[in-house]
Amino acid sequence: MRKTKGFLFDVTTCALCGACWVADKEKNGLAVPAGEFTEDELSDKSFLVIKKRQGRGVRFSCMHCLNPTCASACPVGALQKTEIGAVIYHKERCIGCRYCVVACPFKIPKYEWTKPLPYVRKCDFCYSRITAGQSPACAAVCPTGALVYGDRNELIQEGRRRLKQNPSGYIDHIYGEKEVGGTSLLILSDIPLEKLGYPPELSENPVPSLTWEALEKVPNVVLLGGTLLTGLWWLTKRRNEVWRAEHPEGKEPAENSSDGRGGR
Amino acid sequence: MRKNIKFWWIFPFLIFGAGFYSVLVRFAKGLGASTHLSDRFPWGLWVGFDVMCGVALAAGAFTLSAAVYVLHLDRYKPLVRASILTGFIGYLLAIAGLMVDLGHPYRIWHPLIMWNPHSVMFEISWCVTLYTLVLAMEFSAFLFEKLRWGKSTNAARTITVPLVIMGVLLSTLHQSSLGSLFLIVPYKLHPLWYSPWLPIFFFSSALALGCAMVIVESFASSKVFKKELELKILSDIGRVLVVALAVYAVARAIDLFDRGALNLALVPGFERSMFLAEVLLAPIGPLILLLMPMVRANRFGLFMGASMTVVGFILNRFNVSMTGLIRSSETKYFPSWMEISVTFALVALGLVLFGLAVKYLNIFPLAKPCLSEGQTCTDKPSCCLPTGPRLLIAVFWVAALTLIFNGIQDFRRFQPKDIGNAEVSVKSVNDKPRDYSYLPKDLAFPRSEESPGKVTFSHDSHLLVAEKCTDCHGKQLGILPGRAPRATDMHSAENCGRCHNGKAAGDECLSCHKGDVSAK
Repeated sequence: MRKTKGFLFDVTTCALCGACWVADKEKNGLAVPAGEFTEDELSDKSFLVIKKRQGRGVRFSCMHCLNPTCASACPVGALQKTEIGAVIYHKERCIGCRYCVVACPFKIPKYEWTKPLPYVRKCDFCYSRITAGQSPACAAVCPTGALVYGDRNELIQEGRRRLKQNPSGYIDHIYGEKEVGGTSLLILSDIPLEKLGYPPELSENPVPSLTWEALEKVPNVVLLGGTLLTGLWWLTKRRNEVWRAEHPEGKEPAENSSDGRGGR
Repeated sequence: MRKNIKFWWIFPFLIFGAGFYSVLVRFAKGLGASTHLSDRFPWGLWVGFDVMCGVALAAGAFTLSAAVYVLHLDRYKPLVRASILTGFIGYLLAIAGLMVDLGHPYRIWHPLIMWNPHSVMFEISWCVTLYTLVLAMEFSAFLFEKLRWGKSTNAARTITVPLVIMGVLLSTLHQSSLGSLFLIVPYKLHPLWYSPWLPIFFFSSALALGCAMVIVESFASSKVFKKELELKILSDIGRVLVVALAVYAVARAIDLFDRGALNLALVPGFERSMFLAEVLLAPIGPLILLLMPMVRANRFGLFMGASMTVVGFILNRFNVSMTGLIRSSETKYFPSWMEISVTFALVALGLVLFGLAVKYLNIFPLAKPCLSEGQTCTDKPSCCLPTGPRLLIAVFWVAALTLIFNGIQDFRRFQPKDIGNAEVSVKSVNDKPRDYSYLPKDLAFPRSEESPGKVTFSHDSHLLVAEKCTDCHGKQLGILPGRAPRATDMHSAENCGRCHNGKAAGDECLSCHKGDVSAK
């Protein structure tokens, strides 16, 4: 198996320059809106934003989870976790149910609300570039090294190295190493990320396991339920036959338990 | 009388006209133009009512079919047809609502061939498709009978039992799965509703809803179509309803208690009001009422208990799919008039279809026609219900409606918090100067013809004057990192010339053109 790729984003070294933001627009053919780039919001026209929070630049984009909630939610498998790490979208499969938008714990997939036949849009980790051996457009242009691309395991080592080298400069935590089972976008920060707009208190348990716990019972419910229902049918049928044999004049079997105090 | 009828005709036209217009807008201009949905709140009324409630309200079909064909409780047989009809209509309307809501409705069949067994939505698609087929086959028996196709009728009858068993299994799966859908939003759904037991709640409430709907529609039909049913049978269903409500109530209480969520019912906010209204209408209210034999045996009491259940569980589906998701969504969703008009049109369509079926097909086989027109079928509508229960009914309704009204008021006052953009002052662990060791190395520009000397850009020297990186980078994207100014336009205002414009101190040519001066 190829190594899963990832990003390491370091909040403390982001220069808020906006190069990654422009690179995302250029790579994906998106219009560059006027005004400060930090005012841009994630949308069907923007797959990567840098928000200015507490004077720092904070990246928001698809986390490319190791066990993506969106891919598990999608009824038609339009979202797929690839071996290289990217979570990609097959638009020709999508039925437009928006369960991925509902499900994503990071609120990443965005919908084309203005189109009659809308699709879901989000960062695809520059799938075409990384499969060609290049780094994603945003990481390629980052001037300060705040965003680096590489093998996820090596990036975790690099993150640990930075935490060890400068323990007073960081919160001792690599966001995304364990959250929701791990993400491909790893973040180092000197301020807790939940104070910078990232979801707080994410469990290490991948979100899809919650629905799978219910879904995995389906075959058992069918088999046991089917057996039980057929059995009940068989038993009650026999009971009615016996009742009819014993009461040749009767017409209403199984009535013995009914509420005798009925209305009128 | 005639005049009145003509005047009332305006309402169906308005309802269907508005609904049709909204559907047109949806498909011409998209969901953004027709709904109040957004990326922050991607599912609204069409999912919350049309799909969630359409399916749940249709649960009577599988409940009664199971009782009659599997458990051989033949006394409920007179009600089976009406419940199958309601079920069939409910599913058709849920699918119709979904067709408006889906981005690509013509791909609604995709889940059948593009499998993702890890998706709850996938499982629901399969079950709903198959179960709608089952209902269509069960319903076709009424048609064949009407058309006097004896053979087809017999064929439909012989496969009844396997068909019913399959229908019950499919219903069990997807009724509960509608709850499982929300297992995937542990960080978004309010803890009053998020629970690992959601599938159990949805299934048990569907059972109760099935019973309640049979009672409600029997009474409604008896009023409208003047077809009388035996109150005794409905009273018995009232008993089943009590059991289903009790199971639901106990499960819900255990879960709220175990998760320590009960105290949240005291925290002010629209969630509290909506939660209290919901549990008062179903299960608490009808449970108390229908446990009393005199209420169960009374036409009005039974109808009230059942309709309370229906409204309460509709509210439950609303709360799970909408109310409980608002606070985390950082927005304030309330359906647009177009969303509401489509839902109204679908409900009206359902009523029309039900009426047509009752008129032309044999839906209430054992019902006796009433004596004459104008006379109500009820010999004693509510008079024999003692004041106590009647007062109780009034109290429950008034309390619930007050709570809902309060909830709406709370919701109007509610200010969605933009969690992400809220600038709370947070102290960093790192108040030392930043580490700039990641900055690119010095960048030497090729020397052009007229250049007095080679320019080498160094971040280090700029760090002394620039306070922030954004002083050069990012301000209207002046200097883009990774894309250094070209040697020809370095003097322009977009590049070095922005600051090195000849006005600043030390802006002699040679302060930048330092290299190779002699070589010229």
